[in-house]
Amino acid sequence: MDARFDVELVSVTKRYANATAVDDVSLRIPRASYCCLLGPSGCGKTTTLRMIAGHEAVTDGDILIRGANVTVAPPIRRGTAMMFQSYALFPHLNCLDNVAFSLKMRGIGKAERNRKAHAFLALMHMEGFAQRLPAQLSGGQQQRVALARALITQPRVLLLDEPLSALDPFLRIKVREELKRLQRELAITFIHVTHSQDEAMAMADLMVVMEDGRIRQAGPPREVFEQPTSAFVARFIGGHNVLSGDRGPIAVRADRCRLGTPGDGPHLSGRVAAVEYQGGVVRVALAIDDGDEISALVPDATFYRAPLEPGDPATFVWSEQDVHVLQSA
Amino acid sequence: MMYVPTNPLPRERERARRASAEGEGDRVGTLQSKPARPHPALRAPLSRKPLKAHYVSWLQVSPLALILITLFATPTFLFLVVSFFDYDRVGIYPAFLLDNYHDLLTTPATLRVYLSSLRFALIVWAITLFLGFNIAWFLIHHIRSAMTRTVLFLLIAIPFWTSGIIRTIAWIPFLGRNGAFNQILMALRITSQPLTFLLFSDFAVIITYVHLFTLLMVGPIANAMSKIDPALLEAARDAGASRWRTMVEIVIPLSKTGITLGSILVFTQVMGDYFVVKTMSGGQSASIVSMLSTQIQAMEYPPASANAMVLVAFVAILVAAMMLVVDVRKELVK
Amino acid sequence: MLAGSGRISGPSADRPWTFYALATLFGAWLLFLYGPMAVIYVLSFQGPNGGVTFPMVGTSLTWFRDIFRPEQMANLPAAFLRSIELAAVVSILTVIISVSAGLGFRRRFPGSGVLFYLAVASLVMPSLLVGFGIGLGFQVLGLPHGLFTSALGAQLTWTLPFGLFTMFAVVNRFNRTYEEAANDLGASPWQRLRYVTLPILMPGIIGIAMGAFTLSYDEYARTTLTIGTRNTLPLEIYALISSATSPTLFAIGTMTTAVSFLLIGITLAVVLRMQRKRRQLAGEQ
Repeated sequence: MDARFDVELVSVTKRYANATAVDDVSLRIPRASYCCLLGPSGCGKTTTLRMIAGHEAVTDGDILIRGANVTVAPPIRRGTAMMFQSYALFPHLNCLDNVAFSLKMRGIGKAERNRKAHAFLALMHMEGFAQRLPAQLSGGQQQRVALARALITQPRVLLLDEPLSALDPFLRIKVREELKRLQRELAITFIHVTHSQDEAMAMADLMVVMEDGRIRQAGPPREVFEQPTSAFVARFIGGHNVLSGDRGPIAVRADRCRLGTPGDGPHLSGRVAAVEYQGGVVRVALAIDDGDEISALVPDATFYRAPLEPGDPATFVWSEQDVHVLQSA
Repeated sequence: MMYVPTNPLPRERERARRASAEGEGDRVGTLQSKPARPHPALRAPLSRKPLKAHYVSWLQVSPLALILITLFATPTFLFLVVSFFDYDRVGIYPAFLLDNYHDLLTTPATLRVYLSSLRFALIVWAITLFLGFNIAWFLIHHIRSAMTRTVLFLLIAIPFWTSGIIRTIAWIPFLGRNGAFNQILMALRITSQPLTFLLFSDFAVIITYVHLFTLLMVGPIANAMSKIDPALLEAARDAGASRWRTMVEIVIPLSKTGITLGSILVFTQVMGDYFVVKTMSGGQSASIVSMLSTQIQAMEYPPASANAMVLVAFVAILVAAMMLVVDVRKELVK
Repeated sequence: MLAGSGRISGPSADRPWTFYALATLFGAWLLFLYGPMAVIYVLSFQGPNGGVTFPMVGTSLTWFRDIFRPEQMANLPAAFLRSIELAAVVSILTVIISVSAGLGFRRRFPGSGVLFYLAVASLVMPSLLVGFGIGLGFQVLGLPHGLFTSALGAQLTWTLPFGLFTMFAVVNRFNRTYEEAANDLGASPWQRLRYVTLPILMPGIIGIAMGAFTLSYDEYARTTLTIGTRNTLPLEIYALISSATSPTLFAIGTMTTAVSFLLIGITLAVVLRMQRKRRQLAGEQ
């Protein structure tokens, strides 16, 4: 039993009648880490999460949690707990009963399970809402109750299905911090599915980029961002320009591109397609010869010294050391 | 790469899988990043699940299936069999004769009754469809408060709780020569003589049918309408559709299932009616079922069965035709 | 209850002319619906010498009193009781059987098509035929007709399809994620059914119970040929009509409506009280 990893996926495959959602995925998630599964819709990240949870049957392969093979075990025997995208709080039960539900299923008496439920509601700062029905709570509040409900089972792995998608941007950042803090305090593994690269980069210890049912790259966010192995990852992760170099595809970070003249080194010229103000930086999109577009993130002070408009000719330059060779498409 | 163990070569993988299934130890020489072998005790054949699900469903529908088969399918089959029997004034005799059907289908009375029932059914269908559709649309689209909607629904549903028989005969004092309606008309000086065609006529029969069966239209249509996303209507408005066009292009197609269900219910109720025609037409019309009832009371079971079979076939064809237009099953059991 | 489609007519609260047209239609419909009912109510107070049509010959409560007096022609209280008993049994059985079947239909299983169309057929088959068939069947098998055997069976062929189709609508609205959450939290299939699925489906299930009760209570055609000698209320009423029409019938109608209003009123009051209590509890926190 290899206890170095909380979760191991061994050649896990999920096949439907006419499609393969997850194709031979292998992954090891270290103890007490925050892992984000990231990818476009249809890449298989949610299916993978649900297979780890036990809500989706595995067609082929094995899933191990803390070394125990749980591939065909029911959800409750895996040591996992899931927080659903829609929270799925039982509408006919108040918050207290929702949180205490798993204990009730285990046959624990009313007094004790209510006591524990109160404790977990308090952990989520929701004690005052014990008697309320889910319909009377806001989205953020429902989420905290859903978390309490999941955590009361004392899982080894907490699975979150796009937890931040339904929240407004301001709340999203706040909850991001809270989730990360919670994970550190509880010292368990969180597996978090998202389609937002910002979210994944901000939160993950281990970021897993998926496409078409396969893992394209897995590693710490810095590693993935600074050294994408494929054009797909470079594009999906954002902030990169994928170009064709002499020896194959290369990636250059958008923030390492500057406005300059053709003589300054590696460069590309074209016409400005768009100028987007983003606060601290300005994103300048350049339409180049073959119809593609590349972007540069220019510090706002620099840009406004010599501002450009769509249609102006411009040249992006970068240094040779910022060129990153991609291994595949 | 520590997180994604490189997949062992296919040959290696097969060997490794067989090894773990047999519970052998880690093979020397397999790639170092191969994860721990699966524990044999926790493995189970994956093929077990799909079959189990079917069994559960079968178990769950078995009481329903049992009742429908014994109490519905079997008697219907019995009809079929008895319809070929011979009979006389004394009793019935097992046989295989087409006489009953022949007698039935060649009697002009049969054709007359069927046509009459069909005529009623079509007229009532048209009226209840118009009323039912508009009432449903009013309740679902124009009423905004859920409370009001519930109250209004209850209001039109409560009369249903009173026996249909009582509601039918209530029309008699209402429409009669000295009835309330005539009294109101005369009080308002609309007519000077009481109208006689109101009662014991086709008019009375149709009025009663509409009174009894419109709810059968409102229900399914309202249910279908409530599923229409309001954004669709707004999008149509944006694209310049008038209210009428929106209704024709969007609301009606999306309420198809409800309309079909309601139509099926109304049609079959009218075709299978016994009481209303008897009471309200004053003997001028007969209904198919009352014909049947007479035969049953005279214990002439074989011709009654043949009559029943013909009616069943007729209704079945109608319903099947309606269900061809809308695949009710697909809509209902999503 | 059915959801409405919400605000459509634009930013202002202005109502289009169609609203007024439809509202008028609805009002007219209500008048049409309750018109004969009003006749029933009024005539039930008919004087002792009056008949079943206007004019009113004085007013009295004679006919109400008559309901409770078992007469030679008709035994109304007994029939009423039988109707209620049968309706209760039919209601309970319909709920159990159609809820179970509705849950079964959530998956595609071999034979589901056949069973579906069998239910449709049972629904659209003219009622008298069904009653006839069952009556005949019992006779052929030498079994006596009875209230809780043949009549019950006949009524079930009518209420079960309704129950099943209602379950389809109810189950469609049901979000299966709740069941997944229950699984996740360790519920066994029975626990899941008892603590999550059924409670959430409860409003629909109550609807089925009430619907089945009404259908049974009012049922005439299927019951008449399968009931044997002791009648339910609709049959008794029919017997009354054929023998001698009297305002007693209208008194029954008035009473039935009054009972319906009362039941609905009580249900609404109970529901409102439960909601208020819940809001109170939540507010106190």
